[in-house]
Amino acid sequence: MSLKGKRILIAKPGLDGHDVGAKIIALALRDAGADVIYTGLRKSPDYIARVAVDEDVDAVGLSMLSGSHKEIVAETVQCLEALDASDIKIFIGGTIPAEDHKGLKAAGVCGIYTAEMTIDDVLSAIDKELAA
Amino acid sequence: MSAAEGNPGRNPQRRPARNPRREMSRALSRVANATVAESLEHQGELPEQALYRIGVTGAPGAGKSTLISHLASRRVEHGARVAVVAIDPTSPISHGSILGDRIRMDAVSDDPNIFIRSIPSRRAHDGLADNTADLLWAMEGHGFDEVIVETVGVGQAEYSVRAIVDTVVLVLLPESGDAVQAMKAGLLELADIYVVNKADLPGAELMAGDIAATAAHQAAHQSNGGAEGWLPPVLLTSNRDADSFAALDEAIEAHRTWRQDRVDADVVRRARIRYQVHGLIGRRAEELLEAMPDADLDRSPKEIYQALLRQLTTAPDDGDG
Repeated sequence: MSLKGKRILIAKPGLDGHDVGAKIIALALRDAGADVIYTGLRKSPDYIARVAVDEDVDAVGLSMLSGSHKEIVAETVQCLEALDASDIKIFIGGTIPAEDHKGLKAAGVCGIYTAEMTIDDVLSAIDKELAA
Repeated sequence: MSAAEGNPGRNPQRRPARNPRREMSRALSRVANATVAESLEHQGELPEQALYRIGVTGAPGAGKSTLISHLASRRVEHGARVAVVAIDPTSPISHGSILGDRIRMDAVSDDPNIFIRSIPSRRAHDGLADNTADLLWAMEGHGFDEVIVETVGVGQAEYSVRAIVDTVVLVLLPESGDAVQAMKAGLLELADIYVVNKADLPGAELMAGDIAATAAHQAAHQSNGGAEGWLPPVLLTSNRDADSFAALDEAIEAHRTWRQDRVDADVVRRARIRYQVHGLIGRRAEELLEAMPDADLDRSPKEIYQALLRQLTTAPDDGDG
């Protein structure tokens, strides 16, 4: 598996201030060969979408622990669409209850990675998604 | 290695973008990711240089990104549209990177008149990235007025940025006296403006005085590249005092005005072309070395060199594309 040459934006939307998970994923992606950009804390979906466009990333990973994932995902999808960038994939990681997974996928999320998964599983899932 | 392998991340089938910013952004990716063969294929006549190019270089942790954030915000206030190319190192082990400069530019990255692109250095180890020269040309014609290039954090000798920008700003830290001694025969001779950043730390003024003396000495003895007559200013800046960056903004304008009549455009153009050609050949050699089977590397350096030269004289798209 190699994510060499893939550009991935790790974003921290919403109000929760815990980005250890986001940083671990960022480092793991780098070690898998990806070029990773991290937004820093508390960014709006509009901001995240604009950075995704300027940086021309292949995917945006949203790190979400605050419970507002449904709203944030819907807004991020909308903002990317408005910027003519709906082909940029969105994945999401963090605390995401199983009952929300179906809805999030329907809203346009390509992958949901929770704390139960190993890093290697997350990386192969992202790799598979971006190779598609 | 096939041409496609150098560009593994992108999907060329993506439909054309209607959003002009996205279009530019994608065009930059194509240039940044291009193999030598692809670079050559798309290279036409170089456009007229309309973007003013500012290079910001210095040691890791000197505060280059934060300084650019302050600087870009001032340039935008004067009505300029500013593009930033921020280069971060690629891991030689995984080939991945964390492109962290943008985080330090948080204060301005929301401004629609500022465009920030983070770029991994890839194979380059001269403080820039693969294809930086092509990338700067690709930024022409997209409505920007100037481009600020942030190098990888550099040591003593990575001064390639000198060749491709108009004004070089070297960012130093107080208490880096020994580092400055070491830089005297390298970077320190090549900057147009010196900045002692984090000037709230002790030792800043002493160091600024030391650099000013060195700069004055060099200016008095300089005879290279038509650069006579510019005495590089030494400025003190601090993130704690946003106004301290006003002097940097002014110094860049002063240098820009000075350059207009004093710098020989032909000399500059030739230096840029030399850098670009050197980059193409260097990268091509790297591509070929990476693709070389292990058994071939068991020969003597001279034999490998001669084999490599033969391969180099074949156009990159003949035979391995």
